[in-house]
Amino acid sequence: MPTTHSKAIDIVKRSGKRPTEPFNADKLHASIQASCLSVRSPDGEAHGIALAVTDAVIVWLETKPEVTSHDIRRIASHHLKKFHPEAAYLYEQHKHII
Amino acid sequence: MTLTSSIAIIFLAALIHASFQLSVSVLTLMSGHSIGKRTAHAKLLRMVFGFILGVAIMTMLLVSFSATIVTHVFDAKIPMVLWAMTCGVLVGVGVSVWRFYYRPGKGTTLWIPRDMAKFLNDRSKSTKQSSEAFGLGLSTLFAELLFIGAPIVLTSLVLVQLSPTWQLGGILIYTAVSSLPLLIVGALIGSGHKLSHIQRWRESNKHFLQFAAGSGLLVLGVYVYIDQVISTTVTAIVGGL
Repeated sequence: MPTTHSKAIDIVKRSGKRPTEPFNADKLHASIQASCLSVRSPDGEAHGIALAVTDAVIVWLETKPEVTSHDIRRIASHHLKKFHPEAAYLYEQHKHII
Repeated sequence: MTLTSSIAIIFLAALIHASFQLSVSVLTLMSGHSIGKRTAHAKLLRMVFGFILGVAIMTMLLVSFSATIVTHVFDAKIPMVLWAMTCGVLVGVGVSVWRFYYRPGKGTTLWIPRDMAKFLNDRSKSTKQSSEAFGLGLSTLFAELLFIGAPIVLTSLVLVQLSPTWQLGGILIYTAVSSLPLLIVGALIGSGHKLSHIQRWRESNKHFLQFAAGSGLLVLGVYVYIDQVISTTVTAIVGGL
């Protein structure tokens, strides 16, 4: 599981219509892992990459009081690209397929 | 209209239908979610098959329904004004496809109502059974009715003038050809290809597919207009002299 961070950070949702929600590292981990699995990465590799990316996002979040879900996706995608470009591509495309 | 030209029109209309991308997008998304959730390969294949079957059956139903309405109203004697209107719609939709089919920006986001896109997005995420995938396939066609409506109506106008055997054949040809991209993508997913490769190909060729679909609609509209409206009018004038 990803490193737990102590500071509560609010995530402003993409459309602005839904209420803000606290940052959930497990949720981010699960979405990164799903992207890796979608491009046929082995389970262990997907878990490891998701862990590393989630930790990197948590470090980035340390100085931010409030961020948008779009920011989280952008930063996660930036870090994911270093580990698995194909998964990063699919992660970025997720909202732009339909 | 000869049998050959009727079948050729149905074939071209089905090819144009095949170049529309919503059902391929939904299939890609649904497969992505399923693979991401570690769905067993056999189950994934059943879901992909269920989705394609849903799209194919809805295509058959839409063509048959349209042909039934045309037969009921016009009894296979299509008035020239209906041919002219259909050609006008084909040209109009063709120009719209050139201009509007994809939303600007990256990805393959289509110009369909955003609520409908969100519904399909959510449904493709929550689909876990092949029966749900079948239902998703059925509903996907409705979201794209704005674009596929014109080739379907034209096909039904052509179909009602054929013999019953060829009507059935025409419906099957239309369904098979329009489902080809789904069958290809389904086969690629089934054989273990990465979804990112499929999506990358779709993204890099989206403008070509958009141009091909729009041009196809224009060509079909102009051809049918010449064949059914102008030539009939000229023949009537020459015959009256």
